[in-house]
Amino acid sequence: MTKNRFTIALAGNANVGKSVIFNQLTGLHQHIGNWPGKTVEKAEGTLCFRDYMIDIVDLPGIYSLSTFSLEELISREYITVEKPDLVINILDASLLERNMFFTLQLLELETPMIIALNQLDIVKKKGIKIDYERLEKLLGIPVIPTVAISGKGMFELIEKAIELKEKKVKIEPLKAKYVKELEERIEKILVLLEKIQFRHPARWTSIKLLEGDKEVKKEVAKVSPEIVSMTEEFAKEIEEIFKHPCSTVITSERYEVISKIVREVREITPPAKPSMAERIHTLTTHRIYGYLIMAGLVFSIFYLIFTVGGYASSLLGDSLFGLKPIFESTFGTGIVGELLWGGIMEGFIGGVIVALPYILPFYFILYFLEDSGYLSRIAFLMDKFMHKIGLHGKAFIPIMLGFGCNVPGCLGCRIMETTRERLLTAFVVTLVPCAATTVIILGLVGAFVGIQWALLLYIFNLLIIIFLGRLAFKALPGEPTALIMEMSDFRVPHMKTVLKQTWFRLLEFVKIAFPLIIVGSLVIKIIEILNLLEPIANILSPLTVFWLGLPAITGIALVFGVLRKELTLIMLAALFGTTNFASVMSPIQMVVFTLVAMFYIPCIATIAALAKEFGWKKTSIITVFEILLALLLGGIAFRMLSI
Amino acid sequence: MELRLSDLKNGEKGVVLSIGGIQDRGDTRRKGRGWKFRKRLEDMGLTPGTEVTVVKSAPFNGPLEVCVRGFRLAIGRGMAERIFVEAKR
Repeated sequence: MTKNRFTIALAGNANVGKSVIFNQLTGLHQHIGNWPGKTVEKAEGTLCFRDYMIDIVDLPGIYSLSTFSLEELISREYITVEKPDLVINILDASLLERNMFFTLQLLELETPMIIALNQLDIVKKKGIKIDYERLEKLLGIPVIPTVAISGKGMFELIEKAIELKEKKVKIEPLKAKYVKELEERIEKILVLLEKIQFRHPARWTSIKLLEGDKEVKKEVAKVSPEIVSMTEEFAKEIEEIFKHPCSTVITSERYEVISKIVREVREITPPAKPSMAERIHTLTTHRIYGYLIMAGLVFSIFYLIFTVGGYASSLLGDSLFGLKPIFESTFGTGIVGELLWGGIMEGFIGGVIVALPYILPFYFILYFLEDSGYLSRIAFLMDKFMHKIGLHGKAFIPIMLGFGCNVPGCLGCRIMETTRERLLTAFVVTLVPCAATTVIILGLVGAFVGIQWALLLYIFNLLIIIFLGRLAFKALPGEPTALIMEMSDFRVPHMKTVLKQTWFRLLEFVKIAFPLIIVGSLVIKIIEILNLLEPIANILSPLTVFWLGLPAITGIALVFGVLRKELTLIMLAALFGTTNFASVMSPIQMVVFTLVAMFYIPCIATIAALAKEFGWKKTSIITVFEILLALLLGGIAFRMLSI
Repeated sequence: MELRLSDLKNGEKGVVLSIGGIQDRGDTRRKGRGWKFRKRLEDMGLTPGTEVTVVKSAPFNGPLEVCVRGFRLAIGRGMAERIFVEAKR
């Protein structure tokens, strides 16, 4: 079967319905992973259409092709280096101006492209009329009107793409012209660049050089440093003339060109009364109601997940552990059977009873809220508080996730723009008490020492987060963080997209967490079979007994807790042979033990997630740091409480 | 009158003059600091000459919600203090 194969890249701003179009085009034939070596999501899929196999790459949602964020850099690299056969630029028709700023830059990259003018349904409601045929003429490239959620225009989009690929339609993309002083200088650089045959389009490169783009400068400097120094001269001249930095002048000029086009193609008759979406926005960002709604929503989500999830989890656990007799009758109770069941299967079950009842609904709600637009409102409301730990509003979302489970929290740090912000946020997330930690706090201190002590530990944890967050923010070099975030209109989430995202995220969790959980539980099982648990407890005893004042046996529980933190409690009960911890530990010991368990290490699944996102080096630093921190805090607490 | 965007009251409009402040320009020591954020704001349409409306600000001196080129943008307080505008009253 010889099919014609080619690649289409989907590009556009965030919140324009890009992922919905991606889902409509590729169905379930998709693969979501990361860009090589980067913490940015890469979604790829294939579409079979007539005689064609079309690979579709969903580029991250971005506003520009500068290098503000990793996403922008990756998209730019992809378009300029990998050179997809075609780019489909998706525009939110109700926000033409800002969307076309990106379009203009894509045009400068001289890549063949089509425009999908999306959300025409919303546009109508907003009283906006767009003459897309005129837009097509002005831009010189095909413009296809679409309504992604209902699938309207998808067929035409692909048909047009194939026509373009087969060169059946001639296109003459707009070459935007800017103000005279700028054009003269672009022209001069362009000539030189063409002489050295630079690998990117000459006009685009000239403009990027004038903008002072560091990446492009570096590349050009390798071939011809003279060109770079010349453009620096030019940029200074432009600054003299316009009294604004050169990059500002270029951005203004781009918007000038766009405004002209938009004026020609768009008519607005604003609706008389505010829309439903508008009213929800006002309410959810209100200085009082906004916080009430947020608190109510967040608490009910957690409550629901913990009660229903807890119930489902124990049900699931019971039925899976019920398989033990069957397992034993097949593999016997010898060493092999022991390793297979106690090592691999119990590790696997441990993963399943976290993934299905907790992570799955968590992800679902998260993506539901994200698609509706609500998450950006939470970020808006929480921005001020997040600044207290050197982060901005968006960081609240991964941190909130961390309270459920640190793993999605760490993965959720991708919503932060820069690597530095991502690392800082992930560090904070690993300090957040997750559901399992909460089980320990409530099950040990809450039940046997007093609920006020449990609350105190929680508050202490938050204080540590604030303190260490600030410290890390000061210690890590880089630019200060600031919130710059679009708050798109509220909309009804597109279920198919939400479900797919949930599904692929769950798969990712399984892929990251399961191997390490299973290997970890196998290792511990082997240690157990070799009767090494006691020696390990003895080795740890200077720390546990002398420094922390705990019974030596707790060392074993803490080792198990690396797998899943609530295992510390389960093991403690097993080792002591009682669940009445008050009979075997003093209140001080329980508080110290819980304090250590809270901080002493991110669990193995979190370590895996961290390693995937930031590499082993940073992960080891965080892990070692937290072990030392837990020991320090535990030791101090033991001495202070004993007074 | 030249003001900072953060000085505008809810519902007030202004025209962007510059980001980072005129006095900062040419000062090479400050170069790079916050450059990316200036570029980001400009990329999102806050170029000199653009009209901005402050819709509201979050409590406790939180971020500002502004309307620019027909869309809603949340800007952190610290950033808004560095956007200079000519108030339209």
